[in-house]
Amino acid sequence: MKVKNFLKDVTGASRVTKARLQAFENASAVPVARDPIREAVQERHPDMTEMVVTEIRPASPTSKTIRFSRTDGKKMPIFYAGQYVSIALPIGSPIENSAGSSGNGPDHVPNVTGRIVCRPYSISSAPYEARAEEEPFIEITVRNSGKDGFAAEYLCHGLKAGDHLLGSIGHGQFYYEPLRDSKKIVALAGGAGITPFASMAKEIAHGTMDAELTLLYGSVSADDIVLKEELEQIDCPRVKIVHVLSGDNPGWEGEKGFLNAELIRRYAPEDASFFICGPQAMYRFLREELKKLNIPARRIRYEVFGQARDVTALPGYPAEKKNDVYTLTVRRGIHEDQIPARACESLVTACERAGIILLTDCRSGECGFCRTKVISGEYYVSPENDGRRAADKDFNYIHACAAYPLSDMTIKIPIV
Amino acid sequence: MKFYKDHYDVIVIGGALAGLSSALMLAEKGLSVLVLERHNLPGGIATSFVRNGIEIEAALHEMMSIGSKDHRLKVGKFFDDMGVDIDWLKVPEAYHASLPGLEVTLHPGFETFAREVDQAVPGTYEKVMDVLKLCHTVFDSVNELSIHPMSKPQMLLKHEAFVKTAGYSTKEVLETFHLPQQALDLLSPYWIYVGSGFSELPFTIYAVLMADYVGYGSYIPHKFSHEMSLKMAERAEDMGVQIEYRQHVDKILVKNGRVTGVRTARGDEIHSDYVISSSYPNNVYTHMIEPLSEVPEKAIQMVNGRRLSLTAFSVIMILDQTAEELGIRDYSVFRGETMDTDQCFEELKGLGPYRYITCICHNLANPDATPAGTCSYSITTLPRVDGWKTVKAEDYDRVKHEAAKQLIDDMSSYLGFNLLDHILEIVIETPMTVARYTDAWNGCIYGYAHTMEDHIVARLQTAEEEKFIEGLEFAGAHQISGDGMGPAVTNGRKAAKNVLDAMIAQGRAQGR
Repeated sequence: MKVKNFLKDVTGASRVTKARLQAFENASAVPVARDPIREAVQERHPDMTEMVVTEIRPASPTSKTIRFSRTDGKKMPIFYAGQYVSIALPIGSPIENSAGSSGNGPDHVPNVTGRIVCRPYSISSAPYEARAEEEPFIEITVRNSGKDGFAAEYLCHGLKAGDHLLGSIGHGQFYYEPLRDSKKIVALAGGAGITPFASMAKEIAHGTMDAELTLLYGSVSADDIVLKEELEQIDCPRVKIVHVLSGDNPGWEGEKGFLNAELIRRYAPEDASFFICGPQAMYRFLREELKKLNIPARRIRYEVFGQARDVTALPGYPAEKKNDVYTLTVRRGIHEDQIPARACESLVTACERAGIILLTDCRSGECGFCRTKVISGEYYVSPENDGRRAADKDFNYIHACAAYPLSDMTIKIPIV
Repeated sequence: MKFYKDHYDVIVIGGALAGLSSALMLAEKGLSVLVLERHNLPGGIATSFVRNGIEIEAALHEMMSIGSKDHRLKVGKFFDDMGVDIDWLKVPEAYHASLPGLEVTLHPGFETFAREVDQAVPGTYEKVMDVLKLCHTVFDSVNELSIHPMSKPQMLLKHEAFVKTAGYSTKEVLETFHLPQQALDLLSPYWIYVGSGFSELPFTIYAVLMADYVGYGSYIPHKFSHEMSLKMAERAEDMGVQIEYRQHVDKILVKNGRVTGVRTARGDEIHSDYVISSSYPNNVYTHMIEPLSEVPEKAIQMVNGRRLSLTAFSVIMILDQTAEELGIRDYSVFRGETMDTDQCFEELKGLGPYRYITCICHNLANPDATPAGTCSYSITTLPRVDGWKTVKAEDYDRVKHEAAKQLIDDMSSYLGFNLLDHILEIVIETPMTVARYTDAWNGCIYGYAHTMEDHIVARLQTAEEEKFIEGLEFAGAHQISGDGMGPAVTNGRKAAKNVLDAMIAQGRAQGR
C-alpha cells in the first residue's frame, strides 16, 4: 500500500472528540419536547376515542344504526371505508341470555358484571363524515335478530343517546387499496355484511373515493335488507346496487336466489376486484362460485367473519369434548387466577366470563391483538382463521379469541 | 392484585433486540430483570406480521456480525453463548448494483468481491483489495477495542490503521486510493445502511460495515426476524426474566440524581436502582424523567447537539407468481441514478421522488418465505424525517401512495414487468408506522447520524461524561455502535455491561 496522507496523522481520535464536545457546547439548552411524527400517529391512531351516542335509529326491522361523536366534539380519527371500530362495552348489569339463545354459543355471556368486553363492528358511515367540519361522527349498524349475541342485544336495547363508550377506530384489512385493487369493485354482501359497503358507497358518491362500486346484496326477504333506505338514497352513477332475495317473496320483481357465478357474471365488469362480506356459509359457497369465473386470487378479498357461532362445525374440532369444562390458570405478571373454561368457547370468552380483561380487536384470529402465551395445556385453533406467525406457532402462542381449550391450561396474558 | 415484585435488580424499557440482549446478559449473571414492552410482542421493528394468512417480514433484515457456524462473528457468538438457537440462512449475494452504466452482482468474500469488481472495471483488483484489507484491519481493531480499551500509545502501537484513519471521512480515505469512479461506485451502495453521505461518514464506520458484510456475508432468520426476537424473549424468560407486553413506561423515577424505578401508563410504580432505556435520550430527557428538574442542561445540549439519522419508507408486496416466473434474479438490488452518496443523502430530506432504493426478494434467500406460487418483494428507501414531519393527517395517504407508486414504477421499469399487475398484498411502511409500533422518537430507526462531529471513536471516548443520571443506561440504535440489528445487540450488551460494572463498583454484583 502506498503511504497515504492520513497515515501520518495520529491525532484523529483527539480531533473528533474535541469536535463532539464542541458541538454539544454550541447546542441549545432548551428542551425540544415535541415530536411531530408521534403526534401525527396519536392523531391518526389514538388508542381509544371517547365517544358519546348521539342518535339511534332503525336500519331494518331487526337492526339499528348507532351514531357516535367524540365527547370533545373534535373530528373522528381517519379510517378507510370498510374498516371497523372495536367498541369497549362497559356492560355492568347482568344480562341473562336475553337474546333467548341456548347459551352455548361463543357470544352468549350471562351474568356479565362491571367490566369491559370489546366487539368489532364495521363502520357503516363514510370516512368523510368522520372528518366533517360540522358534527363529525361515525356510525355502526348492528343486527339483533335474536341470535346475534349479548353485545348486539346490549347495543340495540341497552344503549341510549347520551351514553359514553370507548372505541378504537380504524382497524382491519378490508378496504380498497388503489395500488392493489381494481378501481372497479364488485361487492358481494350477505345480510348484516352490508355495512362496510355502505361506507364505501357513500364515500364514492361523495367523490372522496376514486372507484366504481357494483353492490350485489343478498338477503332472505325484503324485510331483512339492512340500511335499505340509506342505500336507496345514494344517487351516483358510480354506485350500482342490486338486491338479491333468496327466500319466498311474493311480488318481488328483482333478482332471486343466491349470489352465484351466473348472477355475478351478468353484473361484474371486466377485471374487477371482488370484496366479500357476509356469513361464513356464504364464503364457502362463493369460493366455489368464483372459481367458475376464473378470478385471479389477487382480485378477491374476504372480510374476516368473527368468532365461530358453532365451534363444532370447524374443521378438526374434537366434537366429543364440546361439553367439557376445564380449569384455566391465567397469569398476569406474577399474579395467577384459576377460572373455568368451556371447550366450546374461546379463551377470551372464558376470561370475559370471569371478569378478566383480555383486550381484543378483530375477534377472528386475524389481527393478533390478543396474542397470548400458552404455558401448558392442549388447545384447538381453526385452520380457517389461524393468523399466527410461524415462530409463534412453534412457541405455543395463540390468538386467544380463536383458540379453544382441550384440557386444563395455563396462559399468560398482558396486564390491563 | 400484585403483578410485579417489590424490587428488581434491573428494569429494561423496551423488548426489542437491544433490550433483550441486555436482559439476557443480566439474567445470565443471576440478576432479577423486568422487561416492559409497549407492543404485544418482542422485537420492535425486527418483527413480522400476517396478512390474509401470509407472514410478511417487517424490516430490511439482513443481520451483520453473525458469521458461519465455524467462524462466528460477535453477534452470532453472543446468540450461541446465550443459548439462543436461531436457524440462520446465508444471504446468497452481497448485492446487485444497478447504477448508471453498471449492472453488477457482487458476492461476499474479499477476493470474490474484488474479482467481480475487477471484471466490471478491469484493472482494479489490487486497489479494491487494498481498500478491503484496510477496512478489515480497522474492523479487527474496533472489535478488540470495544472489549479491551487501552491507552493511546498502546493503541498506536497495536492498532495503527485504526488510529490513523480515525480523523477522516470515508470520502477522504477512499480518495487516496485513486480508484476509477465506477469501481468506487461499486464500493459505495452499503452507505445507506449507516445513513450518512461519504463526506460526513467516519471512515471507521465504513470500514466496519464493509469488512463485516463483504468479508463475511449476511444472514437472515428462517422464520423471519420474529424468529430471532421471539427466541431471544423465550430464552430470557427461561433464564428467569419477567417480560410484560403492552406495558408502556411513562416515567423514569429519579431522586437526587439517581434512578429509583419506573411508572407505567397503567400506574404501576416499580422499583429498581438500574433502568436501561430503549427509548431515545430525546424522549427520556424531555418527557420521561420525573421530575424533569433532575435533567441537567448538559443532557439537553447533548441531544440537541446530535442529528437524528434515517427512518424508513418501505413498500412490501406479496406477488402472485414466483420469483422465477417473474424473472427476478437477485436477492438484493441497490439502485440509484448516481452513487454520489452526498447527493443521495440530500434527496432523502424530501418526500420523494426517491432515487436511491434497496429491493429485496426474500424468497431468493429463503424459498419458504411465502406460500407456493408467490414471492415477496420489498422496495425500501431510508429517508430523513424532515420531509415527513410536514405531512398533515389529511394528506398522509396521498403522500404515502405517491411515494410508493414512484418506487413501484421505478422498479417495474428495472424488472421489465409491471409490479402493479401482480400484487396479492401490499403494505406501505412510513416513519409514522415505525413510530406507531415502536414509539421511536420521530419514527427514527437509525438513532443518531454517524458524522465527524458524532464519531464512534469520540462516542467511546466521552461515554462516561455523557452519563447524567446514576443508574440510567440506554440501549438501542441511539447508542455507541449506532444503527442496524447487529449493532442493536452490541448496544444492548454494552448497556448491560455498564450496569454490571456499576453494580460491581457498589458491591452489588460479582465480577467474572
